[in-house]
Amino acid sequence: MSDGKMGFQDTAGLYGAAAVLRLALFTFFPALPDLLTSRVEVSTPVTSFKRLQEGLFLYNHNVSPYDGGVYHQAPLLLPLFSLLPDPSTYPFFTYLLYILVDIASAEALYRIAESGEAAASKLFTSARKERKWGGYVVAAIFLFNPFTITTCLGRPTNVFTTCAILHAVAKAIAGNPLTSMLALSFAAYLSMYPILLLPPLVLLAYDRQHPSKKNPSLIQFACTTVLAVVVSLSALFIISYLLTESWEFLPSTYGIQLTLTDLTPNVGLWWYFFIEMFDSFRSFFLGVFWLHLSSYVGGLSIRIRSQPLAVITILLGIFSIFKPYPSIADISLSLAVVPLFRHVFPLMRYTFFAASTILYSAFLGPAFYYLWIYAGSGNANFFYAITLVWSLGQSLLVSDLAFAILRDEWEVERPEMVGKDIRQI
Amino acid sequence: MRSFFSYLIPLLFLFSRVFASEYHEQLNLKPLPQSSLLASFDFRSNTSLSQFEAHNFRYFPRSLGQILQHVGTRELHLRFSLGRWDAESWGARPWDGTKEGGTGVELWAWLEADTEEEADHKWLTLTNALSGLFCASLNFIDETRTTRPVMSFRPEGDHGSTLDRLHLLHGVLPHEIVCTENLTPFLKLLPCKGKAGISSLLDGHKLFDASWQSMAIDIRPICPPGEGCVLQIEQTIDMVLDIERSKRPRGNPIPRPPPGHDLKCNASKPYHSGDTCFPSDFAEGEDWSLDRIFGKFLKGTCPLTDSDVPPVCIHAPERRDIFATAGAIELKNPDGLSRCYQVPSEGDFSMILPHMSREGENAKTIADETVQPETPLLYAERSFTGHGQERGGVQSILRNPSPDTAVEFVYMESLPWFMRIYLHTLQARVEGRSGAKDDIIEEIYYRPALDRERGTQLELRMRIPPASTVFLTYDFEKSILRYTEYPPDANRGFDVAASIITILPSTSPDAPAALRKMSNLRTTSLLLSLPTPDFSMPYNVIIFTSTAIALAFGGLYNILVRRFVGADEGPEASGLKGKIALLATKLKAMFKGAKGKVD
Repeated sequence: MSDGKMGFQDTAGLYGAAAVLRLALFTFFPALPDLLTSRVEVSTPVTSFKRLQEGLFLYNHNVSPYDGGVYHQAPLLLPLFSLLPDPSTYPFFTYLLYILVDIASAEALYRIAESGEAAASKLFTSARKERKWGGYVVAAIFLFNPFTITTCLGRPTNVFTTCAILHAVAKAIAGNPLTSMLALSFAAYLSMYPILLLPPLVLLAYDRQHPSKKNPSLIQFACTTVLAVVVSLSALFIISYLLTESWEFLPSTYGIQLTLTDLTPNVGLWWYFFIEMFDSFRSFFLGVFWLHLSSYVGGLSIRIRSQPLAVITILLGIFSIFKPYPSIADISLSLAVVPLFRHVFPLMRYTFFAASTILYSAFLGPAFYYLWIYAGSGNANFFYAITLVWSLGQSLLVSDLAFAILRDEWEVERPEMVGKDIRQI
Repeated sequence: MRSFFSYLIPLLFLFSRVFASEYHEQLNLKPLPQSSLLASFDFRSNTSLSQFEAHNFRYFPRSLGQILQHVGTRELHLRFSLGRWDAESWGARPWDGTKEGGTGVELWAWLEADTEEEADHKWLTLTNALSGLFCASLNFIDETRTTRPVMSFRPEGDHGSTLDRLHLLHGVLPHEIVCTENLTPFLKLLPCKGKAGISSLLDGHKLFDASWQSMAIDIRPICPPGEGCVLQIEQTIDMVLDIERSKRPRGNPIPRPPPGHDLKCNASKPYHSGDTCFPSDFAEGEDWSLDRIFGKFLKGTCPLTDSDVPPVCIHAPERRDIFATAGAIELKNPDGLSRCYQVPSEGDFSMILPHMSREGENAKTIADETVQPETPLLYAERSFTGHGQERGGVQSILRNPSPDTAVEFVYMESLPWFMRIYLHTLQARVEGRSGAKDDIIEEIYYRPALDRERGTQLELRMRIPPASTVFLTYDFEKSILRYTEYPPDANRGFDVAASIITILPSTSPDAPAALRKMSNLRTTSLLLSLPTPDFSMPYNVIIFTSTAIALAFGGLYNILVRRFVGADEGPEASGLKGKIALLATKLKAMFKGAKGKVD
């Protein structure tokens, strides 16, 4: 804990600057938050702040928010937000909450970076481990990333998931497996997909246990941690059940991610695919898409067993492309953890191409959406094409990072190959 | 004799209204301002409930009766409507709006059932059966278009103790175009089937050419005190005809610009001359006759009808000249605002209302020609706000014209599920007399939509203070649908059903007579345009997306499963040269193998 306090003193100025920037944007551009909230790139049906307000309104008027097609977010968010003053009259408290969540995420990221886990884990030490950014820089990159700032202003609820995931990783690195599992349960409870991070996170926590303790076997450890997740998730579900007095929230919150009944456009690949899908194949392809999303977990965890943090980083990148309702909040999380791997940046081959593709689609996406929805001079294919480019750019970045991490690993085995041409067989 | 009758008629009318006769029919004509004519046809027949249950239908249409018995329907209301009632110029609605529906088809019924599921099942059977009977797409009233109104509708019949077991279901098809194929089955339900009596005037060409029309069927049990219960079926047709348009001869139905000498010009304008014309408004009285307006004569009376009820009545001031066919008996109402005609049972009947000069010795004013329409209790209009295909808003403007009475009513919306409304944005703003408070919504019933399962149901009970206007607004989001869920004309948009306003009867003793009973009002339906995908390329999208996923998956797994070696190590299979060499060895091996087999 003392480490954390030290960290906070070091970074107080950084966090202050980030908070001031966000507050200034909230204050001087009062129309900006609502504008961003209404953007499909920021708000998805499962994270939108406007839908949260509707759910809150229904909840406060004793109508079940889950008996309707608008609110698809976790039940515990309702009492949390009903404690705050009404966001339409006193928006300041909501702003403050989101700024604090961003800073909490940055603090977790700071600790992850300071631990040096990315370049030197228990089973593997990179030859390039000297070449890295400190926690200050990594936190700053996260806090001043335009995607993060936009997300904070747009107030989607997946910033809470981001915060929970980063804290789960930070706690696992700090040697606190149970706290880490609790944080992961929160993330999974809020958004469901983080449950797929469980295997690499267990490995990470296992590797980072305190050496002084008597270490159990991996199987034993995994059973304990999985049990911890099951218990905490069940507790969360039971609290939710007590809150809403029915299990309706399960199909409404998680079922919609599995069945994709709401086809509101977003930056991902699912919505247009399932608009155009033939009815008889809909459930088959839903299964295929989910299988595809979860297929990476096992492969990556086994192949990059020595670097669980790298697995988590790559998985976060993949989730931000292929999850059912992705938004730029997801890419801001995935881009937040990439700078931890600065030591492999020289090994990446397509950084310029991937970065320019992402930038290109980030600017053209809103323009094409406008052409389709408002101007009527384009059709749905315009925006769909941009989401394709966006996904391809991101997937290029992710596979390039995976390549660099593996090459870095290989070069430890064969130090003579540094800087030489290689091929894969 | 005539004066004797005129006193007797209202009495008889009142008497017969309740129970006496088994069948009667009446046509009420009411000239409206702006050269319009409201024609209300009313056909009513009673059958005693015990006879009905014994399958002895008498004047009750058998086809409909059997459906009702099969699905346990105790009260049924069916509406086919078209056009817009122009309340600003035509005033209050006929029958206080209780016999009209929203644009399209509207159906509500009280079904006897023990559980909600049973009621749903019976409702499905009912809509399918009525769909066949009336040649309307009533079978498309599925669960997404069905609501169970809580505050808006009240049973009109006497149900006694069975009321607890009755379920009210309401469905509406705003997209349905009402036309001749709905009129024919409607007329077939009548005892005289459109061959005689006032129904002989009805003709699809005229009815569906009207500015506004509403066909209604109401079935309800009525139990007059001290007598056996009767099942009453009332069929009404209300239409507003444009007199000038209806007078167009049949042989020349295509509208052409009238020749210059036929133009009606306002001669008071200073620039009026032979080649300039400012069209005069409708103030100049039109001359018309029943047969020209409806295109045919009234063919005697229906022999089954109660002969005490005069079949044709017209609401016109006493000073209006009206000539009826010889043999008809004119019965003047003592209030001087209406008169009725007893029509000879055989032969054609018509009425002629000649042109009344506005100048000269016997100059007449507009007040001599038409009865001033009553002011409605409430004006309502509804429209969309916003632009783009992503989100929008709905604004309803409700105005209470009365200077001294507040109006209490229930405003009901049943919206399709793909219009996602945000109830937290619902606002009611009052403008008008000072001191009006903004929280005029007294009660809200809200049942949110579930995707593909049910629509939104919103009922608001409000009270508008006198001489004030309420602006009711809320936001909604337009969802994008699966491409198979769009109709063939996807870019036309989706029809949103009219909102139904039920003005609740006032309980205060000094309320005006119009406010003492329940009355209704409907806004127009709206056209909602949704974002559309590209319908031409499902294959392309499936292929492109799959390719993107395959690229990402293949790229990543390629990196994961293959080994690194130096560029100059490992098996010599890289580059074009290596690949060709590999292919050559493979081919050679194959060739050799084939040769070996031949040998």
